Formats: sequence, C-alpha cells, structure tokens
Amino acid sequence: MALLLDNLGFFLSGLEFTIRLALLTLVCAIVVSVLIGLMSVSQWRALRVAALCYVEFWRDIPLLVNLLFIYFGAPLVGVPLKPFTAALLSLTLWGGANGAEIVRGGINAIGQHQFASATALGLKRWEIYRYVVLPQALMPILPPMTGLCTTLVQATSLASLVGVNEFFRIAQIVVERTTMQSGHSPAFLVYGFALMVYFAICSALTWLSRYFEQRLQKTGHSAVAAPRGFKESA
Amino acid sequence: MKHNFDVAYIIASLPALLEGLRMTIIVSAISITLAIAIGIAGASVRIFNTPVFALLARGYVEFIRNTPLLVQIFFIFFGLPALGLKLSVFWSGTVALTIWGGAYNIENIRGGFLSVSKGMREAAEALGIDRLRYLWLIALPLGLRVAIPSVLNTSISVLKNSAYLQAIGLAELTFVAMDKLSLDFRTLEMFAAIGCIYLGLVLSLSWAVRRAEWALQRPFRTE
Repeated sequence: MALLLDNLGFFLSGLEFTIRLALLTLVCAIVVSVLIGLMSVSQWRALRVAALCYVEFWRDIPLLVNLLFIYFGAPLVGVPLKPFTAALLSLTLWGGANGAEIVRGGINAIGQHQFASATALGLKRWEIYRYVVLPQALMPILPPMTGLCTTLVQATSLASLVGVNEFFRIAQIVVERTTMQSGHSPAFLVYGFALMVYFAICSALTWLSRYFEQRLQKTGHSAVAAPRGFKESA
Repeated sequence: MKHNFDVAYIIASLPALLEGLRMTIIVSAISITLAIAIGIAGASVRIFNTPVFALLARGYVEFIRNTPLLVQIFFIFFGLPALGLKLSVFWSGTVALTIWGGAYNIENIRGGFLSVSKGMREAAEALGIDRLRYLWLIALPLGLRVAIPSVLNTSISVLKNSAYLQAIGLAELTFVAMDKLSLDFRTLEMFAAIGCIYLGLVLSLSWAVRRAEWALQRPFRTE
C-alpha cells in the first residue's frame, strides 16, 4: 500500500496521459467515423467499396500489429513519429473503422421512405442529412459510441508497448524499479491496482452507455447494435 | 538500408514466420475451445440463477469486459507468482486469453439461451425433465444455434488478440516478426507478410461465420 501511495503522483501523471490520449483519439475517431460512415451509404459504388475496404482492413488486423506498423513504419516514409503521435494515429484509424460501422447502422436504421419523402419535398441532399437524418440518428448511435469510448480507454494500454508514458507503462516502470531496488516483485499489487483503476473508468462508461440505452427505450426507439466483434476488440 | 521492397526476403523468412504462426494457432485453438466451455458453464449458471455461482459469473464478466486484456496478461504472468502460482509464458498466455474469451462467451451463449422460448422451459418442467437434461437436450441445441455467430466472432477476436502475447515474450507470429525486424530492419516486408497472414486468417474465419450462420438457419428456412 505504501508503495502505491509513494508513487501516487507518478501514477496520476500516467493517468493524465491515458485520459488525454483517449479523449484526443475519441475526437479524431468521431471525425473519421462520420466521414467513412457517410461514404459507406453514398450513392457512388466506388466510395462504398473504398469505405468497406477501409473498415475491413483496420478491423481485421490486430490492433497491436497496426500500432507497431505505424510506429516502426513511419520513419520509412520520412516522417518519424513520436510514440504518442503514433498511438494517436493508430487508435484513430482503428476507432474510426469501428465508429464508421456504428454511424452506418444509425443511417441505415432510418427508413428509405424518409429519404424519398424528403426528396419529394424538395430538400437538397445535405439538407436531408442535416434536418432528417442527423436528429434521428444521433440518439440511437449514442449507446454504441459510448461503448467505443470504453474500448478506446482499454486500447490506450497498448501504447505502453511503444513507450508512451501512459498509466499502464507507469505501472510497469514502478514494478521494474521496485524489483531492482528491493529484490522482490510488487507485480501482484501494482498490476492489480492498475486493473482496478481501468475497471473503475470503464465500468462508469459502460454504465453511461446502458443509461443512454434505457433512456432511448423509454422513447420507444432502440439503439444501433454494435458492429460484429467490436466489443471484444481491445 | 535499402528501401526497395524485397520479396525474396519475405520468402527467406517464411519458415520462421510459419513457426510463429503455428504457435499463434496452437494458443488460439486451446483458448477458443476452453473459452467456449467456460461460456457454456457460465451461461448455464446464469440462466438457472444458481445462488452464488450466478453472482460470481456476473462479476467475472463485468470485470473482464471492463479491463484491458494487456493488463490482465501482465497480471497473470508477473503478478500471480506472488501467490505461488507460477505459470510458463505459454500457459500464462493461454490462461489469459481463455479467461478473457470466456467472459465474452458467457454473454454470447446466455443470449442464445435466453432466445429459447419460456414455453420450452415450462414444458420441460411439466414433463419432469431435470435441469441438466433440459440444458443438454433443449437449451444447447436451440440456444447454441443462435449464439454461434457471436461465439465465432469472439473466437476471431481471441485469435487476433493472441498478438498481445508477444509482450510477455511468447514466440507467436507478431513476436517472430518483431524479432526479425530488430535484426534486419525490413519493416515494410515484415508487416506486409504478417498483415497478410492475419488478414487471411481472419477473413477465412469470418467467411466460416457466414457459412455457419447460413447452414444453421437451414432447418428454419421456408424455400
């Protein structure tokens, strides 16, 4: 216990990194999600195929391989990335692929007749998306999007493997340092503590997601189903 | 260091990569099988609401699903020896993946069991069929059919996430690739090779998922 208290400031600095990485990723991933999601319901076949390839590619390759590829591959094209940037980029590409499926589900849940009616009423395409699709799709995609936050927070732990000083990396450093100094490993305590912290953050997010879902059901709607295999992705 | 893409290098390192692939497949196969067993057991105690066990199963699922797999792996490999439970790299990895996949499978299979109509359960009770036989003869054949697509999706995730085990030094596919990378700096070739292997594995498994879905619906199709 004393070990955890002694390193409290250190742990908090790691937690700050974790939260900053998760939030930044979330913002970027939402932008990518909307972009790719709109592409996948486009009128043009080429855009739909491109969106499908993007989504399948990033979802089918292990996130860890994706991260290592971006971190070690970036110098080859002449732009060496800092660990934090590499992690941000990798998580964004991957989160965007999962988010795009959610956005697509939200748009598809809106009946075709609404598009037809809106067109008949003389609305332009962007007006249809702004005034018909957006207000209706926003609430049903909220629960799975909150689920995406949970998965992203868990996925940030992978950044420790390329050397981002996020929460889990700090835990590793504390374990290594204490083992060197005292001769016996505090791994059980420290990693157990790390599990608890992640559990607290993620269960709060899971709870929020369920809350959104229940509120939605009260209004007689149902949430968009999370894309296949998505909850298990990190 | 040359920047041209060297196909011959990939071919030359294929034997090592296939060795890694073999490890990936062994670990995944064991974990997937055991995770399905955990799923069936956990889902059963949940639908029968067995005291204590149902609560344990619920807590287990919540905990695993809300913590990162990588931290779980580290906890099992580095943390458990403090309790006198010292597992090899291989078994730590397999146990971690099994526990993780099992939690998702409990939810998948529970969903399948819940889809079996209440009337079946009542009819079984009226006929004096005990719980075990209800499970074996009625809930499993009907419920598992519904659950199989999601169970297979979880299994695909187990396979993909076996890559995390490189962090504790298990010589699976990603580990082998990173090892070769640190010697030869052939970044592009290595990632192209393992990217294709993972993509091939996952795509063929998801094809199997779609086939299974189609085949399992056969008795219920009308045409």
